[in-house]
Amino acid sequence: MSILINKNTKIIVQGITGTQASFHARRSMEYGTNIVAGVTPGKSGLSHLGVPVFNTAVEAVKETGATASVMFVPAKAVVSATKDAIAAGMETLVCITDKVPIKDMMYVREMLKDSKTRFIGPNTPGVITPGEARMGIFPENIHQPGNIGVVSRSSTLTYEAVLEIKRAGLGQSTVVGLGDDMVVGSDFIDIIDQFMKDDETKAVVAIGTLGGRYEEKLAEYYSGLKEKKHIIGFVAGNNSAYRYNVGYAGDIITRGHITMQDKRDALSEAGILTINRINYLHEELKNIMK
Amino acid sequence: MNIHEYQAKQILSKYGIKVPKGKVAYTPLEAKTIAGEISLKGPWMIKSQIHSGARNKGYFLEKKAGKDGGIRQVKTRRSIAKEADEMLGSTLVTVQTGHKGKVVHKVYVEEYVKIDQTFYCGMVIDRMTPAITLLVCDSNFDDDIIRVALSSPDKILRTALNLENGATVAQVRNVLNFLNLPANSFKNLKKFIDGLHKAFVDNDATMIEVNPVGVTKRGELMALDAKMSFDDSAMFRHKDISMLRDESEYIERKLKALKYGFNYGEFDGSVGLIVNGDGISLALIDLLRQKDFDAACFLNVKGGVDKDKIAAGIKLIMTNPRVEGILINILGGFLRCNLIAEGIVASASEVGLNVPLVVRFEGINKEYAKEILVKSSLPLKISDEMETSVNDLLELMREGD
Repeated sequence: MSILINKNTKIIVQGITGTQASFHARRSMEYGTNIVAGVTPGKSGLSHLGVPVFNTAVEAVKETGATASVMFVPAKAVVSATKDAIAAGMETLVCITDKVPIKDMMYVREMLKDSKTRFIGPNTPGVITPGEARMGIFPENIHQPGNIGVVSRSSTLTYEAVLEIKRAGLGQSTVVGLGDDMVVGSDFIDIIDQFMKDDETKAVVAIGTLGGRYEEKLAEYYSGLKEKKHIIGFVAGNNSAYRYNVGYAGDIITRGHITMQDKRDALSEAGILTINRINYLHEELKNIMK
Repeated sequence: MNIHEYQAKQILSKYGIKVPKGKVAYTPLEAKTIAGEISLKGPWMIKSQIHSGARNKGYFLEKKAGKDGGIRQVKTRRSIAKEADEMLGSTLVTVQTGHKGKVVHKVYVEEYVKIDQTFYCGMVIDRMTPAITLLVCDSNFDDDIIRVALSSPDKILRTALNLENGATVAQVRNVLNFLNLPANSFKNLKKFIDGLHKAFVDNDATMIEVNPVGVTKRGELMALDAKMSFDDSAMFRHKDISMLRDESEYIERKLKALKYGFNYGEFDGSVGLIVNGDGISLALIDLLRQKDFDAACFLNVKGGVDKDKIAAGIKLIMTNPRVEGILINILGGFLRCNLIAEGIVASASEVGLNVPLVVRFEGINKEYAKEILVKSSLPLKISDEMETSVNDLLELMREGD
C-alpha cells in the first residue's frame, strides 16, 4: 500500500504537449507510471508520447477511467483546468505549475469545497510512490521504496529529506510536496491522516517552513490522535528572513506566532520529534526504526 | 510588488474612497507651488514617498534633514520649500527599511484634514482560511500596529470576507461597534470597506493598509495614508499596475535578477548562495548562522530553463563585492543540474572566479553536471551533502583569510 497513487492508478497529464510536461511525462512513463492519456485543448485526436490526447479531462476520463491528473498547464489556465478536472470526477489532482496568482488559488479552494477532489500544490514537485508511480518533477533516482511517508511545504527540502532517508538505509512509502505557495490545496493534516491509516507507512517526516500556522495545526491534530505513528518534524527559516520576505500586515494576522522556534515548540509539545538540522534526520530515523 | 502612498491613494479614490487633496513634488519649488494650488492657507502635510510604513516615526541619516520624521506638518508656504529641501535626496530610516534606509526622491504635498477620530485599517490574505481578511484597530491606542499585535492581539478585530461579495452588513456593524464609531458613519464605513475589498480583488492585491483612517465630525471616512502591495504572479493581467514599479526602490542586482526571472535578496554576511528553492535557502542560512556566519546574498534560480539567464544570474553573485565565498546547492527536478554547471563555467570564464566556490548537486542530471565542472578545471570543490558543503566552504574561506 501507499497513499494517493500506486502502480495501478490511471493518470492523465493536463497540458501534456508542453515542453516541460513532455520531458517529465516521458520520465514518469519510463519509471512505470500508468499514464493513460493527455489533455491539451484543441489537440484532441493527436497521439503524444504514445497516449491519446483529449480536449478536456472530462473526455479523457470518459475514455480511459483515469482517477488522477498531474497539471503542467500555464498559470493563467489553472482555474479552468481545475474546473475541468473536478467535473471529470478526479480523485487526485497534482498541480506542478508555479506563479499561480493567489486569488486564483482562492477560487480553486472555493471550487474544491463541494468536490471529492484532493488538490495538491501548486508549485510542488508532485507526488511519488517509489517504484510505482511518479506525478511531477521529482528526481526519481534518489527515491527508493520503503516505509517512511514524507510530506513537505518546501520543494527542495523534500529532496533533502528523501536523501536523508536513503542515508539511513530506508525508503519511502509515498512522498508528497504540498507546494511552496501562500495558498495551497492541501495541508499536513490532509496527507498525514492518510499516512496514519496506511499499513505500509511506519513513520512520517514532516517538513515545515515559515508563514501560516500549519505546524501548530499539525501539533493540535497529532495530540488528539488515539493511535499514532512517529512523526519527525523540521522547520526551516528564521524570523528576520521571514520579515525580509513578507510584509507588515501579514505578520499581524499570525499574531506574532511566526518564529521557527514557536513552530518547533508546538511540534515538540505535541510529541513530535523535532530536529534542528535536516541532516540530523537519518540518525533519528535509524533510532526510530530500530 | 509595492507602490507609493500617492499611487495607492489614486487607486483607492477610483473605488470611492475619500482621500485628502494632494500632489507629488520632485523639487522644493514644486512643493511650494503645489501647496498653493491645494489651499490658500495652511497647514499642509509633506510626506516622504518611499516604500515603507511608519515613516512619521522614522529618522533621516543626514544632518541637513533635521531631527523630524519623514512625515511633517507645515504651517507656512515658505517652510514647505524648506522641509521639502531637507527631505529630498536624504535617507529615511524606518522600522521597515532596515538600518540603511531609503533615499527620498519625491514628496507628497497634501491638504491637512481636521479629524475627530482615527483608526487602523488593513486588508491581507490569511493563508490558513484562506480568505481576504479585514483588520481594524483603534489606533489611538498605539501607533505601531505590529506592537499592538504582539502585546495585545485582542485590540485587533479580524474579519474574514467573502471573496465575491465582501463584508456583510452584520460584519460592518460589528466593526462599527468594535471601533466605537458614531452611528451616522455606518453608511460611510460600509462604502469604505466595500471600496477596499473591490480594490483588493480587482487588482490582485496582497495587502492594503490605511493607517490611519480619519473620521470627521460628520462621520465621513478618509484615507489619510495608504499602502498597497500586489501579487507578482498576477501582474501579467495588470499592465497598468506593473508600470507603477519604482525601480529606484530596488537594488540594482535585485532588478537584474527579476529580469532573468529569479529572486534575489541581500543580508549582512559574506557568503553568496545560489539555490533553487526558498526552503533550501532558509535552511542554509539557518545552518550558516549556527556556525557564526551569515549570507551576503541569495539567488533563487527555481524554475530556470534558460542557460543564458542562469549564467547571468550566477554572474550577479560572482561579481558581488561583499561575497567572500560562494555556495551553490542545487537539487535538480524541474531545473536540471547540467544547466547550472554550464552557467558556472560560462560566467567564471567571463568574470573570473576570485573567491572559494563549493558546489553540491543532487537529482536530475547530477553526474553529467559534475562531469562538466571537472572538465572545466575551475578551482572549485564539489561536495555531496548539505552540511558538508557548508563546512567545506567555511574552511576554504578561513584558509583564505
